[in-house]
Amino acid sequence: MKIIKNNMKIFSIFLVFFGMLMTLAFSAENLFYKEVNLIGGYGHNNKWIGKDQELTNSLGFEDYRKFSNDYGDFLTTDLQLRVAYDSLENSHKAWGVQIHNAFAQFNLGSGKKLKFGHFDPGFGLEPVLDTHATILQTLMSRNIGFKKDWGVGFKVIAPWFDFDAALQLGSGMSIYRRDNSFLSTLRISKPNNNNLQYGLSFMYGDILQTMGMNTFPRADIIGKTISKKRVGLDSQYLYGPFLFKAETAYGNDDHDEVLGYLFETDYTLPKNQNIEMQLQIQSWLHDIKAKKSDDTTLSVGISYKINQNITIRTAFIHDLNLMEGNEDHKGIMQFYFSGL
Amino acid sequence: MKIIKGLCNFTSLVSRFIVLFYLMVLSGPLAYAAVGCQLNDPDRDVKQLFPQSTGYKTDFISIKEAGGLPLYKKIETILADKLDSIYETIDVPYSFYTILKGKEIIGYIHGVNQKGMFGGMQLILSTDITGKIINFYYQKISSPEAARFMDNNFTNKFIGLSLEDFLKREIYITDPSKDSNDDFKATLRGLKKNLILLHELKVK
Repeated sequence: MKIIKNNMKIFSIFLVFFGMLMTLAFSAENLFYKEVNLIGGYGHNNKWIGKDQELTNSLGFEDYRKFSNDYGDFLTTDLQLRVAYDSLENSHKAWGVQIHNAFAQFNLGSGKKLKFGHFDPGFGLEPVLDTHATILQTLMSRNIGFKKDWGVGFKVIAPWFDFDAALQLGSGMSIYRRDNSFLSTLRISKPNNNNLQYGLSFMYGDILQTMGMNTFPRADIIGKTISKKRVGLDSQYLYGPFLFKAETAYGNDDHDEVLGYLFETDYTLPKNQNIEMQLQIQSWLHDIKAKKSDDTTLSVGISYKINQNITIRTAFIHDLNLMEGNEDHKGIMQFYFSGL
Repeated sequence: MKIIKGLCNFTSLVSRFIVLFYLMVLSGPLAYAAVGCQLNDPDRDVKQLFPQSTGYKTDFISIKEAGGLPLYKKIETILADKLDSIYETIDVPYSFYTILKGKEIIGYIHGVNQKGMFGGMQLILSTDITGKIINFYYQKISSPEAARFMDNNFTNKFIGLSLEDFLKREIYITDPSKDSNDDFKATLRGLKKNLILLHELKVK
C-alpha cells in the first residue's frame, strides 16, 4: 500500500508539472503520436514469447511540444508513455506503466540547453539513434543496465563539437535513490558531416541493479549498486544504401574489467526503399580476464514500412554465447504503429 | 498441445490489443502521418545559416490543416508530379523554422524528404522572407556519389534562385555526378517541392 502511495505521489507531481507546462500562456506547437506495439515470437528456450528484451506488447503515446514567445522557441517537452504487458511475468506483475522520454528542455541561448526529467544518458550511440521501437538495440542496456535515467542534463553546441553531459539517479526506469546511487555521463561528438558522425563518451557512477522496464509499479532492485567507469567510442556512416554503425565501451564494473562492442549494417533495398535489412553482432564481456564471460548475440532483421505509420519488423536472434549459459535462438515478429 | 495453447494465448492477447487499438483510434483525433524532415540540430544549423539571428520559432504545418484536398491538388499541379502516397501524404506535418532577429523575421529554414536512388535524401533550404534561396545543403543523402552532391561547388549554384525560377524551368545547373542522374533529378524535384511547400504553407 505504501509503495502504491509513494508511486502515486511521484506520478501526480509529474502530471501536475506537465499539466502546468501545457497550460502556460505561451504559444505551443504540439505533435501527439499514438502508438501500438505488438510483438511476439518463438524461441528455443521459452517457446512462444510475447516480448523481446525490453520490448513488450504495449499501447502508448508521445506528446511532443515546442513553446515559443515573440523571440523564438524557449522550451521543448516530450512525454513518451506506454501501458505494457509482459507475458513472461505473473498476472499480478504483468501490467505496468513505462515512462520513456519525459523531459523539459530549456533553450538558454548561445547553443546551450538545460534538460530535466527522464532521458538518454550521454553515452554511445543511444542518444543519437531512435531505438524506442526497434528490435535491434544499442549497447546501452548491456553497458549501463538501462537506456534512460532520471536527472538533469546540459548540452553545449560549440562550433566544431557538441558536448552532452548528464547527472542522473542511476536507477533507470523507476525513481530510486538508494546507496548514494548516481550516474554521470559526458559525450563529445562531431556533428553529422558528409554522412559521417562520431563521438567519444565517458561514464562514472554507482548504478542500481533493477529488474524490469516498468516505472509503475517500480522495477525491483536486485543486489547492491555497481561502481561503473567507462570510456566509449561510437560512429555512424551512410554510404549509398548502407548505413554502418559501430560502438565500443571499455571500463570497470567494481573490480572487473569489462568490454563491449557492436557492429551493425543496415541495407535499404534501392528498388523498394520501404524494405530495410539489418545485420548486427553485439558482445559484452563481463570480465575480460575470465574465459567465456561474454554475452554475444548475432541478429538478422528485416523491416517493411507499409506506410508512414505502420512498420512490420522481423528478426532472427542467435546467442553465440551467454556467460550464464542457456543460449537461445529465436524468431521475433513485430507490428508497430505510430501516428499523429 | 503446448504449441496450440501458446498460439491460443498469443491470439487472445493480439485480439485484445486490436480491440483496444480501435477504441483508442476512434476515441481520439484521426491518426496522421509521422512528421516530415526536421533539422538534426536546429541551434547549430540556424546559427550557421543566419549568423545574425537571435532565435527561431518552430511550426508544424500539414497540407491538410493549411488547405486540405484542394491545396494538395494545387501543389501537385504546381509540382507537375504526383505526391507520393506513402511519404508525401496530405497529413504529414512539415517543420518550418522562422528565423528571428529580436522580434523581426529575417528568413526561413525548411527541409524535405525526397526519395533518391539508394534511399532517402533530406534537402535543407534557407531563404529570405520572400522565399529566395540563401543556402542549400543535404542533411542526408544515400548516394555513393554523396561527396559530389554535397560539395559547395554544386549546392551554392542554387543560391539566389526562387520558386519562380523553378516554375519557369530556368535552372541552368548541371548534374555533378557521373552515374547518379536520378539523384540529381530527385534533388531538383525535392527543392521545387520544398519551395512550393514553403510558399503555400508558410510564406503566403
